[in-house]
Order: sequence, then structure tokens, then C-alpha cells
Amino acid sequence: MKVQVLQENLQRGLGIVGRAVAARSTLPITGNVLLQTEDGRLKLAATDLDISITSWIGARVDEEGGTTVPARLITDFVGSLPPAPVDIQLAERSREVHLECARNESTINSMDAEDFPRIQAISGGPTLQLDPKALKHAIDRVDFAAASDDSRPALTGVHIKTDDSRLTLAAADGFRLAVSDLELANAPEEQIEIIIPARAVRELSRLIADTQDPVEMRVNAQRTQVQFVMVESELVAQLIQGVFPNYNQLIPAEWNTRATVSVDEFKRLTRIAAIFARDGSGIIRLEMAPAEEGEAGRLKVSARADEIGDNEGVVDAQVEGQSGKIAFNSRYLSDVLNALHGEVTLEVTNPYSQGAFRPVGDSTYVHVIMPMYVDWGGER
Amino acid sequence: MPSPTVLHVDLDAFFVSMELLRRPELRGQAVIVCGGLGQRGVVNTCSYEARRFGVRSAMPVSEARRRCPGGVYLPSDFQYYAPASKAFHAILREYTPAVEPAGTDEAYLDVAGSERLFGGAPGIAATIRRRIRDEIGITASIGVSTNKLVAKVASDAGKPDGLVVVEAGEEASFLAPRALRELPMIGPRTAAALEQLGVRTIGDLAAIPVSALESRFGSHGLELHRRALGQYLAPVLHERARARSMSRETTFDTDVADGQRLRGILRSQADHVAAQMAAESLAARTVTLKLRFPPFETLIRSATPGQLLMLGSDLYGAALALFERAWDANGRRPVRLLGLGATGFVEAGRQLRLGEDVRGIQLERTLGDLRVRFGSSAIRHGHQLGDGDHYP
Repeated sequence: MKVQVLQENLQRGLGIVGRAVAARSTLPITGNVLLQTEDGRLKLAATDLDISITSWIGARVDEEGGTTVPARLITDFVGSLPPAPVDIQLAERSREVHLECARNESTINSMDAEDFPRIQAISGGPTLQLDPKALKHAIDRVDFAAASDDSRPALTGVHIKTDDSRLTLAAADGFRLAVSDLELANAPEEQIEIIIPARAVRELSRLIADTQDPVEMRVNAQRTQVQFVMVESELVAQLIQGVFPNYNQLIPAEWNTRATVSVDEFKRLTRIAAIFARDGSGIIRLEMAPAEEGEAGRLKVSARADEIGDNEGVVDAQVEGQSGKIAFNSRYLSDVLNALHGEVTLEVTNPYSQGAFRPVGDSTYVHVIMPMYVDWGGER
Repeated sequence: MPSPTVLHVDLDAFFVSMELLRRPELRGQAVIVCGGLGQRGVVNTCSYEARRFGVRSAMPVSEARRRCPGGVYLPSDFQYYAPASKAFHAILREYTPAVEPAGTDEAYLDVAGSERLFGGAPGIAATIRRRIRDEIGITASIGVSTNKLVAKVASDAGKPDGLVVVEAGEEASFLAPRALRELPMIGPRTAAALEQLGVRTIGDLAAIPVSALESRFGSHGLELHRRALGQYLAPVLHERARARSMSRETTFDTDVADGQRLRGILRSQADHVAAQMAAESLAARTVTLKLRFPPFETLIRSATPGQLLMLGSDLYGAALALFERAWDANGRRPVRLLGLGATGFVEAGRQLRLGEDVRGIQLERTLGDLRVRFGSSAIRHGHQLGDGDHYP
């Protein structure tokens, strides 16, 4: 193998695929990056067997071939080189890859490309064309609600389901639920319902951050793998097998109190209250009161910590229905507010039932959080 | 001769009294406050009018409805009772730091060091009763004696709204004419066995020679004898101004290798600690398990699961995992001492799960409260039931 690539391109390509390199694995080659000539380009690939990422960069191919090299080493090395052409060469029947760039030479011990796990392209199953901006927006509003512990594997993923030309993403960890819809240009030929590992979805969001070109999603017929095809890269993930809870019944249809408030103000008060809540209980109390006698409606955000003190902040809010109160874990509350902009409505039925957060003027998203059971009556 | 300095303060039908405060129109009626009104519901507290129909605490709601179909059945509302319970305990702590809460509505006090400051124990008891009536609006009964056991029987004897003082040296004669079931800490099986022996009153029990009790009840026999005479050594547990930890320990006379029994004890310890936390509106972040193997090999294990530990089942779940691991690692050897503690207190709170019904938590709080007040035999989890157990 003999190729020449630009240092900037190689560095960018390694950065893309590096996210799929196995951190520690019993299969040593998964700590390597695959370098392989393909159709006049250089293909880079990495996999931890759950997720595989492939990227292509422009290259001058003098001699076809492939190899794998330790990901950390080559990434650090290439990252330190000046922006100049890099020559990569692997002699026939040799295990030493020779790299040369701007009078800097190195030799890296490689492992055979034939031993690198094969990443199957997916065909034959349903396919969707997705707008990258809308997809990223939807992912970023749900992925954080997925479970981080794997006691219930289905909850560690993002549930993706089509309903004609609507695609719904949902994630839940047993305490909260995020649901985001997006419209498809065309309804798929067959309906799709899969669970993608949250980590794969996060990597996808990163990969499509700067692209304008449509993303193609392919699912295999057995519903065991998904592939996302971008112009310069691809991501393949093993799907989570399991049943995602029927979450529609968890989205409250009614409310007794509805408060509409600026996300930034709500976020600011929550951040301050969280300082008091974080050393112990994490409890943040919200109390909503409608406007009366010339006084504006208000949302009170408060927290208290034994032996430290307490905090209370108030923001004007448009409050409909009756007065209401609810207590949330500070992290869950900050997470949802960080995913929103503009104005948000919070709908509450009673202090012990789920609260629903909806962005104002956007019916494609809802976030449901179960409250914390607290002794509301207890004044100190 | 020691003077009586131990007080048992018990709010009269606490939950019912609180309900009557906000619904005075129900006064004089059979009011029954239940933990859950459904299939699994249990009577928590009932008014004295309801007791006339045979309704009792810890009775299934279905049974209560049969005995008293005209009663007013209300769900328990801990949110509403909690501030009153807190105020109650705060009043007690003004008279001595030696306050041992025994649930949301009762506590033991030892005023031995406070008598010169506030007057004698009967005077302090009268003041406490007046303040509870004035400041909370409900009534309390107080028993005063030289120890917790007799003080408890005395407060029961004074109910409702009474004060009974048992002078030092009068304990046995005070107890003697009372029915055996008035003696606390006697389980239903022991009571049934004693009744077979013809024991009707506490005095009957006291008259049985220790040797006879020992041959029937083993090492427990001596303890029964002492209790019947009103002798009880366990002191009022001092509670520091703000406890850094709350715990329960059980040391066995005979080392125990029966896993079911150990788990049952752990469960009851968890309930007691949870009740103690509830009295102060606290939850814990960390649970500690203490295990001792003979002769004196002590293991301490702790866990901080991330979620707050508020209920008895929270503490039990976390402690049980520690117990199983530590006991397995020690070849499931006989255990001499088992203890459960909670530390890292923060305000009471519990993250609810999606779809979780809060009534489950309220029911558990009710059951925990009942177990602590009426002994662990009053309400049991299925796994604690053994052969020969029956509903008390």
C-alpha cells in the first residue's frame, strides 16, 4: 500500500472514526484504526463491535492495500504534524507502516487489515431519507433522557418509530421521558420500530452537525442493525433487542395548573437553587400561582439544604388554572431546560403525578418528569 | 428508690384528631383513617367511637367496613400530619435532649436532668399536655414511671386525654390487675401460649415461677417474668441535637443461622429507622449494615445507592444486598448481632418512578408507622410469616 493524503484530512478523518475505537477490549485489533484504499480514496474505520464508524478522505493512491494501526498512537502523531502531505507506505509482507511528513518519519507496528472485524453494509430492509438539521435537533432533545445504567437494556437506547410520514424519537430512564417528532419528506415503504443505543445516536448527532446533505437511514430485514449513510462517513450500530415501554399513556392529557415562563429565567433560577440542593437531596420545589388583584402570575423556585441554608427565586409567569406545586430532582429539571429555548409551559395535575414540559409554539416535543415525593406541609 | 422520670407521650388517635381539626363536623362520629382504601388497605387510626364497633388499628379496611359500615373512612394524609408531628417532637425536645421518638405520634422522654429546671416529672407531663392542646389543637396521654415499659402501659391506661403517674416501687401492683394484652412487646404467639396456661392478667404472669416460664419459653422466660413485674432496663435512647446517624441493633441470645429470620429482623430494623427518620422529615443517603459473628468478629458495610432512602423498604432493599453479600462471603455462618443504620441525612424526599402510584408510598408509610407502634407482628410482609402465624 502506498498513498498520500493531506495532514488536515487525515486528522479530521481520524477524529471522526476515533469515537468508535474500543476503550478496552479483549479483541486487541478493535483498538486499531483501519486504513484502506477504496475507489481512489483512503477509507478509515473503527469499531468496538457495538458501533462502527467509517470515513473517507481524498488521497493519491499509488498502490492499493490496507492495514490497521493503534488508534491512539496514530491520532496523537498525526495531530502533532504540520499541515502538509503525509505519505503512508506498507511494504509487501511487512508489518511496519511507514509514515512521512515534512521531514518527520516514523514507523508504526501494524496488524493485518484482514483481521479487522468486517463492517457489513446494510441493504434489503427499509430506508429513510432524513434532514440532518431536523434529525440532530430531535436527537439532542431526547438522548439525555435515556438510562445510563443497564438494568433495563431497552431504556439505554432511543426508541425510533415511524407512523406514515412522521418519525418519533423517544427516550426514558424510568423517571423521565422525552419524545420528539419530525416530519419525513416521504413515508417509508414499510414501518420501522427500533431501539438504537443512546451512544450511537449521540455519535450520529456529532457526525451530522455540519452537514446539509440528507442522511440515509437503513435498517436490515432482521432489525438487528442500523446504518446511517452520510456523504463522507457512515455509522453502523447494533440495535437493542427488547420492548420499549408504551410511553403514550405516561404523557398526561390533562392539567390543573399550567405555567408559561421564559426558559432562560427558569434556567437561571434552577441553576441557583441547584447550588443549595446539590449537596444532599437534589430537591427543587416549584410553586405556581395565577395572577390576582393586579399581581402578575408567578413561578417560585426554591431549595433548601440542612445546615447550609435555603434559596428562593421568583419569576413572572403566565399561570392558568389553579395554584400548583411540584418538586423535581435538580438534575432532571436542568437537563430539560438546557434542551429548550424561548418559552416553555409546565403542566401539572398534582404534586405526585408527572409534570409535562412543552416548548411554546412547538407541538413536536414533550418532556415528562416524575416528581419527587416530599413532605410539602413541613415548614421549618 | 429511683423517682419516676420516664415519660411516654402518645397523641390520642393522632391521624383522626388531625382530620377532626379540619373537619369538625365529623366530631362524635366513627372516623377511620386508613392507609389505602382499596383491597390492601389497612386501618391506621380510628376514633374512640369507631372502637366501640370493634374497629382496631392494623385491621384490614374490608374487615372494618363489615364491623362498622356507617363509619367515615378517610385516606391518611401524611403531608398534612407531618408538620404537626414535627411540632409535637419539637415541644418534647424543649424539656430534655433525651427524647426517643417511637413513631410519628409517640415518644419516650427521660427528664431526670431537667426536673430542677422545669419541675418534677408529673409537672413537666402536665405542661407538655397543655402545650400540645394549645399549640397543635389535639390531645395527648402521658404515662410517667421509672421505665419505658410501665410508662407505656400507664399512658394507654390514661387514654384518652389523661395523665397517669406510677410511683417507684408501685410498678408491679399497677400492672397486676391489667389484662395480659396490655403488656407491650408480647407477640401473639406468646400471648396465645400464655392464655393456654390460664394467664389472664399481668399479675397471673408475674405469679408463674421463672423456672416454669423458662421451661416453656426458654431464655425469653426470665424476660417475661421481669416485664410482668414492671422491670425493664432499656434506657431512653438519647438523641443528639441533630442525629448524624440512626440505627437499630439486635444481639441474639443464641447465634442465628436462619436466613429468613435474619432478613425479617433486618426488615423490622429498617422500619424502625424509617419511622425515626419520618418523625424528623428526613431521608438518608447511606445505609450501613453491621454483622457480628461469634466471638466478636464485626463487619460493617455501607452503600450509597444514589437515590434517597426514605421508606423502610428503601433501607431494607439496600441493606439486604449488603447483608447477602457479606453473609455469603462468610459462609452463611451463625450471626450474633445484626444491625442497620442510616446516615447522610437530607430532607425527606423520594424520586417517583414513571407510572408509580404515590398511594403505594403512602401505604408503606402507614404500614411502617403501624409496625413501629404495634410491634413488628402487627403487620408483616409475606416473607416474614412462618408456620403457625395468624393474623393477630
